[in-house]
Amino acid sequence: MFYRLSGVRHTSYPAARQLWPIAADRWQVGVLALLALLAPLLISDLYLGSYALPWLIWTAAALSLSLLMGLGGQLHFGFAAVMAIGAYSSIHLARGGVPFEFALLGGGLTAAVIGTAFGAAALRVKGLYLVMATLAMQYLVDWVISNVPAISGGAQATLRTPEVSFLWIPIDSLDARYYVALLWTVLMTLFFLNVKRTSFGRALAAIRDKDFAAAVIGVDPFRTKLTAFMTASFAGGVSGAILAFCYYGAVTPEQFGFNVSIQLVAMVLVGGLGSVVGGYLGAGFVLLVPIVLTNLIAGLGAAGWFSISQNLTAHLPLIFYGGMIIGFLLFEPLGLAKIYDNIRKYFLVWPFRHSGS
Amino acid sequence: MSEPVLQCENINRFFGGIHALKGISAEIQQGEIFGLVGPNGSGKTTLVNCITGFYAPQRGQILFEGKQINGMRPHRIAANGIARTFQNVALFKGMSVLENILMGRHIFMNPNPLAALFYPFWAAKEEVAHRRKVEQIIDLLQLESVRDEHVEVIPLGLQKRVELARALCAEPRMLVLDEPMAGMNQEEKEYMVRFILDAQEELNLSVLIIEHHLDVVTSICDRVLVLNDGNKIAEGPARTAMSDPEVVAAYIGGQAHAA
Repeated sequence: MFYRLSGVRHTSYPAARQLWPIAADRWQVGVLALLALLAPLLISDLYLGSYALPWLIWTAAALSLSLLMGLGGQLHFGFAAVMAIGAYSSIHLARGGVPFEFALLGGGLTAAVIGTAFGAAALRVKGLYLVMATLAMQYLVDWVISNVPAISGGAQATLRTPEVSFLWIPIDSLDARYYVALLWTVLMTLFFLNVKRTSFGRALAAIRDKDFAAAVIGVDPFRTKLTAFMTASFAGGVSGAILAFCYYGAVTPEQFGFNVSIQLVAMVLVGGLGSVVGGYLGAGFVLLVPIVLTNLIAGLGAAGWFSISQNLTAHLPLIFYGGMIIGFLLFEPLGLAKIYDNIRKYFLVWPFRHSGS
Repeated sequence: MSEPVLQCENINRFFGGIHALKGISAEIQQGEIFGLVGPNGSGKTTLVNCITGFYAPQRGQILFEGKQINGMRPHRIAANGIARTFQNVALFKGMSVLENILMGRHIFMNPNPLAALFYPFWAAKEEVAHRRKVEQIIDLLQLESVRDEHVEVIPLGLQKRVELARALCAEPRMLVLDEPMAGMNQEEKEYMVRFILDAQEELNLSVLIIEHHLDVVTSICDRVLVLNDGNKIAEGPARTAMSDPEVVAAYIGGQAHAA
């Protein structure tokens, strides 16, 4: 088959360490990159704006969280708050006249600083206690944002994003917004892949797998976890800012509520902890399936098969996320990425059942 | 012999009401293989945990190359040149053999997320340089064939060897081995002994080894310290110490004077 390991020989360490050693993988990545670049020409504005664009941005956000949860094993149930901090600070910076590029960086840095401050306090505990501590962050940040008019512009206020330009190109059309989101997601993807093959990523994984063994080989557990909190918060903050500028066009406190945090956790868990493919699959799955589900139920309701209240329809996605998280944790803890990986491995050794060793 | 590389002076460790180490003193000379033996629960691992910083002794002090290390956190002690392995293999399950051994280089590396962001300009060179060093250790311990396997799927004997490789990659001056041969068959034991001796000779290490197989202890250790119930009951050249009546009694039971 075209998809195989045989014939792949490395003669140098850099060659052995490349991201996609198998030719078929490189082709796959190339084709996907090309499709992503040409998407504005290939699909209608409706699909580009309401499916492809949010998918990309939520992928970047899921990858940010996956850095912490998947690679580092540190659960974070307040990640929407981190994104909110990034979104609000970048909007205020941009409104104050700071160029968009620096407003994004500023949003990321603010999120990193606040996220790390919470992390420093929360990291004194592990596991479920860490979940509770990060949950506290979610509610604190939510409360501060909606109760400080200087940030949110008032409890029920909507803050519109100003007109901005990125690298001298005005971000006023859907295509421009799409490319900004694409650039950030690609950057995040490459960063994630590189973290996994460098010492920082290994140290994180070591702490996740066996913290005492990591310490005894020279990894400073607290410092490494805190760096992970900082990095993930920075990336989450920028993702939040991109989400506000490129997708929502305006922010309100409810956009980054607790349910969004759960949605992010669902993306990471369903997609596959610590996997890049998982970030894409998880975000796509969690965004898309509720839409399909809601449409299906609305369709069935309209056809007169059964009727459910508007209220229940609104909560169906949440029920669904909960079910998905439980289901994946029980049956495929490594998520959709593992399913993808199994299929890929099947074709790697095809027509044999498994590799020899 | 020259200066002792590790000095333990009057080490006391309590766990609640249990007095686990009752004033243990020991000196390990540069370049020697020092055995730590004793029945289960005698405090061997507790002593090793004190040396590697898992917990500080409540009384007494530990000097490594003349520098006080008790009270330091484990990663600081690792950076000072002590590496160890664990009784129950403590490898990183999510990683390949190669990545596990690369972890041993951590103290020489720069775990910086920015290095990953600018991988081609920043991290790539470092990674390749350390890979070279890791390959030397892989070569020394003959792990070439399992290099790319996941650590969970290789046999226990090899896992223990990977753990030794990881410790050696940190270029320690002292190696602490907690039962490196537990659960191994005769052949695996012989391999392991050979690798420990090779590594000790080639890398000029001092070795502190906890071991239950008395044949191993008597054949490779220069000196041994025998613990029983937190007390030192014998110390000296392996054969003499192991035939001490009190040691025999502690191992086999019965009265000290019976032997």
